[in-house]
Amino acid sequence: MSRTPWLLVAAPMALLLVFFVVPNALLLSTSFLKSEAQTLTGELTLENYGFLFSKPIYQWAFARTFIVGASVGLLCVLLGYPLAYFLVRTKSRWKGVLIALSLAPLLASVVVRTYGWYIILNRFGVANDLLLNMGLIHERIAFMPSTGAIIIGLAHALLPYTVLTIMGSLNGINPNLEQAAMSLGASRTRTFFHVVLPLSLPGIAGGFILAFSIAISAYATPAILGGPATQVMATAIYGFMTQLLDWSIGAALAVVLIVSSVLLLYAASRIGAKQAAI
Amino acid sequence: MSPWAALRGVVVFVYVFMLGPILITAAVSFNESNRSQFPPRGFSLQWWGRALSPEWIDPLVFSLKLGLAAAVISTLLAMPLAFALARHRFRGRDAMVALTLGPLMLPALVTGVGLLQLFQYAGLREYIGFTALLVGHVVICLPFAVRTVAISLHTLPPNLELAAASLGASRWRTLWHVVFPLIKSGIVAGAVFAFVHSFTDVNLSLFLVRPGEVPITVKILGFLEFGFAPTLAAVSVITLLLPLVLVAVVERLTGLGDFIYGERERV
Repeated sequence: MSRTPWLLVAAPMALLLVFFVVPNALLLSTSFLKSEAQTLTGELTLENYGFLFSKPIYQWAFARTFIVGASVGLLCVLLGYPLAYFLVRTKSRWKGVLIALSLAPLLASVVVRTYGWYIILNRFGVANDLLLNMGLIHERIAFMPSTGAIIIGLAHALLPYTVLTIMGSLNGINPNLEQAAMSLGASRTRTFFHVVLPLSLPGIAGGFILAFSIAISAYATPAILGGPATQVMATAIYGFMTQLLDWSIGAALAVVLIVSSVLLLYAASRIGAKQAAI
Repeated sequence: MSPWAALRGVVVFVYVFMLGPILITAAVSFNESNRSQFPPRGFSLQWWGRALSPEWIDPLVFSLKLGLAAAVISTLLAMPLAFALARHRFRGRDAMVALTLGPLMLPALVTGVGLLQLFQYAGLREYIGFTALLVGHVVICLPFAVRTVAISLHTLPPNLELAAASLGASRWRTLWHVVFPLIKSGIVAGAVFAFVHSFTDVNLSLFLVRPGEVPITVKILGFLEFGFAPTLAAVSVITLLLPLVLVAVVERLTGLGDFIYGERERV
């Protein structure tokens, strides 16, 4: 232990205190204040939370947010695991290119990538055109706005994170363990299910929770592929803050979102999933 | 069919899922009609012409400026912080690590809402727009920059610094002539990650815009309310290509890959 190197840390810490801690603290306090006619009164209240938890429309928004989050996490793991396993084990000379290709989507904004799904899924979109041309359907189907479309769009947006997390845990498995299993007579498939898969469970859990926690606070995808009937917490917060201008309730919603994310990340750390560190 | 062949089939499907929507977006931007026909019919550059009009170029340039400023400022702040966290053990260090990673853990959407309230209540309403966006982006980019610089500091053998010191170099001289040149690629990588993070952000920016000061992502999102427009497809492709080119160039010059995998090393 040495003296705190204030010279080095003062400026970035001051920035984080003023523009990260204070805004979040402000939200927390606003959520307990009563607001009337769009201005805050000094009165302490739990009404904002009561309002949110008693109205069916917001109960549904909470439920939908978590259903979307869990489905996105699941889909990301189901699609991401085979890809991660392939990328770690392949001997192809294109390995580097394939890895770059699987991470490249992260360079595009979620808005842009979700727009691709909008082009595919809207009523006059690519999917409807193709199905009509093939004679599989006779009337246009409304794939969106829907919760399913939101789930697909978000899974698409978050898949690279899951792949990266699972690759990290697969890379950490000692190859000797697999060789030992196979030299003892286990087949490749048996080795995978009894050795590799169990050892990569922390990576799976980590990838699931990472996708889950990002998905529940995503705004753009639910805004583009969903509608008024498929509100999630993020779109509801946006509505309260910019259209309904009820900041107290918006703040209460934001606090619920923070608590959910923190709980998820805490769960991840308990499971032993790798966390960011410095 | 062997298990490996089956796996390859699944992998092909996953790549189609990942890259398909992006390729379709690019394809329909060359469509002749203003519908999202796919496969495209005819070939036209008219939507690209419209995408290059001031209506779209202005927010694009705005995003570039914002991203550049956010990357430079967050990297400048990240260097001393990463150095302190990686090289010193002091009281409160753990709390500082948590605070530094905070913007990565808490939803950016919430930070955006909080900043909106802060600027309003503090009577700084006129700073909502570029200034507020810049502040917010520096906050959310900082963890990326700190982490990347910290990784390169950890891979640097401390012996080098001891050697320089034992040969009589002062602390600052060691820092400037030994440490800095060796972690330069880490600093560049941190700045690139910060830029990309800022350039692609929408969750935070959403709340801090004002007319005329709108990042391209928020602009596209607002435009989507009016439904499909091939111009938007062309704009999307442009905003997708810019960071891609940047990353490809930097990767050629200094190498970024190490830092993506660097996250694995627990530092």
